[in-house]
Amino acid sequence: MLRTTRAGLASAFKDLTGAFVPVALRELDRELRERLAKVPTPLNEYGYDRFGFSPEAARKAFLPAALFYRHYFRVETYGIEKIPSGRALLVGNHAGQLPFDAVMLGTACLLGAEPPRVLRSVAEFWIPRIPWFGVLVSRGGGLVGTPENCAAMLEAGECVLMFPEGARGMNKPYSERYKLQRFGPGFMRLALATHTPVVPVALIGSEEQQPGFTNLHKLGKLFGFSSLPVTLGFPWLGPLGILPLPVKYRFYFGDPLQFEGDAHDEDAAIEARVDTVKAKIVELLEHGRRARRGVFF
Amino acid sequence: MEKVLITGISGGQGRLLTRRLLESYEVCGVDRVAWEGAPPEVRVHQVDLRKKKFEDVVRTEAPTAVVHMGFIRHFRADQRTRHDVNVRGTKYLLDHCQSYGVQKLVILSSGYVYGAFPENPFSMDEDQPLSASRSYPEIRDLVEVDTVASAYIWKYPNIRTCVLRPVSVLGSFVHSMLAEYLRQKRVPTIMGFDPMMQFIHEEDLCEAIALALEQGLQGVFNVVGPGEVPLHVAIRECGGIPLPLPEILVRPLFARLFRYGLAPYPEGAIDYLKYPLTLSGKRFADAAGFRPLFGLEEIFQSVRRRE
Repeated sequence: MLRTTRAGLASAFKDLTGAFVPVALRELDRELRERLAKVPTPLNEYGYDRFGFSPEAARKAFLPAALFYRHYFRVETYGIEKIPSGRALLVGNHAGQLPFDAVMLGTACLLGAEPPRVLRSVAEFWIPRIPWFGVLVSRGGGLVGTPENCAAMLEAGECVLMFPEGARGMNKPYSERYKLQRFGPGFMRLALATHTPVVPVALIGSEEQQPGFTNLHKLGKLFGFSSLPVTLGFPWLGPLGILPLPVKYRFYFGDPLQFEGDAHDEDAAIEARVDTVKAKIVELLEHGRRARRGVFF
Repeated sequence: MEKVLITGISGGQGRLLTRRLLESYEVCGVDRVAWEGAPPEVRVHQVDLRKKKFEDVVRTEAPTAVVHMGFIRHFRADQRTRHDVNVRGTKYLLDHCQSYGVQKLVILSSGYVYGAFPENPFSMDEDQPLSASRSYPEIRDLVEVDTVASAYIWKYPNIRTCVLRPVSVLGSFVHSMLAEYLRQKRVPTIMGFDPMMQFIHEEDLCEAIALALEQGLQGVFNVVGPGEVPLHVAIRECGGIPLPLPEILVRPLFARLFRYGLAPYPEGAIDYLKYPLTLSGKRFADAAGFRPLFGLEEIFQSVRRRE
């Protein structure tokens, strides 16, 4: 009897809140549901793929992301159709102190690409140690960026996102904005080993979302953080300082680059290919910055 | 007709395997406990693997093939005994196989030997190092058994030695710690964690062992079931309700309870409820043509039905 009462209360609660949820949100939820249903990823009978992705769970996380996508960052994409079907490695510039750029790119691939793709964002190895957040990343399609995992994803025909600058790019000071930091060559060896086309993407806007002045590495280490940036909003505004400025995001996708060669080639040969990708991203960044009229609009 | 000796024959998996193998082999077995109701043509010897009596059994039975699944996999016995029985017992068994002309040997190791870690790859193959001892020292005996058995492949290549590392086995007859865990009404989990898990039906495992015997396979093979599901789905499908508990409370509590013999497993087992341990079964599928017949739904049903 208790169980039926609980079920009854739950459905009544749902009806009641449903009446207050704005129509726009329900529309967005429906759009996300439709887009997720079209994603070409095989799911088992319980609605999970073998990597832990679940459209049901992901949809709940994508709702706030989609709100940010449409109304906060007002993302515009140029050339998203260049992402090939099947395996692809998206490589872009990383910035913004927190990975909002990755979340927005993922939302772009879901809402803007045809067919919709679930972008597989590569996460740091310590992400799965964090309760709840680790599961969220996995259900949303993310993965720990080990070479084996990335190769497994690509071989399954997924689109993987990597930021070769890593934290170097994400936590750099405002004075270094739009200047590409050192690229880790791992992504190129991965692309060669799995014959995956590399799609360069320039992200405009994330570089200015959270201007950083300095980074208190040593202090951060005391608390177990790899970095502790001092930005326009943090730590003065406390948790509110984590919210970035409402910059306008623009994503410029370049043509896919197919590289051939030995994945175990010497560093110099790999670096030469990495430089090709870097140059392309720089070209797209310059084009994007010239085309825009302002940071926020 | 070939003769197979099964160690650990009185356990659930042993009995199932016996019935499966009786179709094509003569079967006998050893175990520390008796098997009431064993088929009349199956001789079951109650011996300890470490004792001379076991050697006598091997000599007199003179099997052509041996399936070794006689391990203590629970923690009800004390640590030293468990380690001794598992490791020394295996060592003696391997020696006897060499001495008495056994031609095929299948050792049932465990997928748990890889250890559950956050940086684990999605599909671990057999070359992945066996790191379980790092965070779960209580099962280092299983790691050592696996290592000794794998070394045997190279040491005595005249014996077709096959080490199988299956994922978690579930079914109506097997008693594993995981099966006991999933059969509870309220299943404790670690708050904020929900790793992908793989399962295989007990009959599919029998089939895998039979295939390894039939083909005289040599090598180390993961044996994987139909797919992976998150832990909370497995709990739900087995008819239970997950009970998330904060790790900061559970870990020390479990460590203490285990030390006083009040918990069924030590705190190292908690990592298996947090981090993934998913294996690739490609090597075995390619080598033996193994395909699991029982899907996830059927596996969970077999656990539910037993209640």
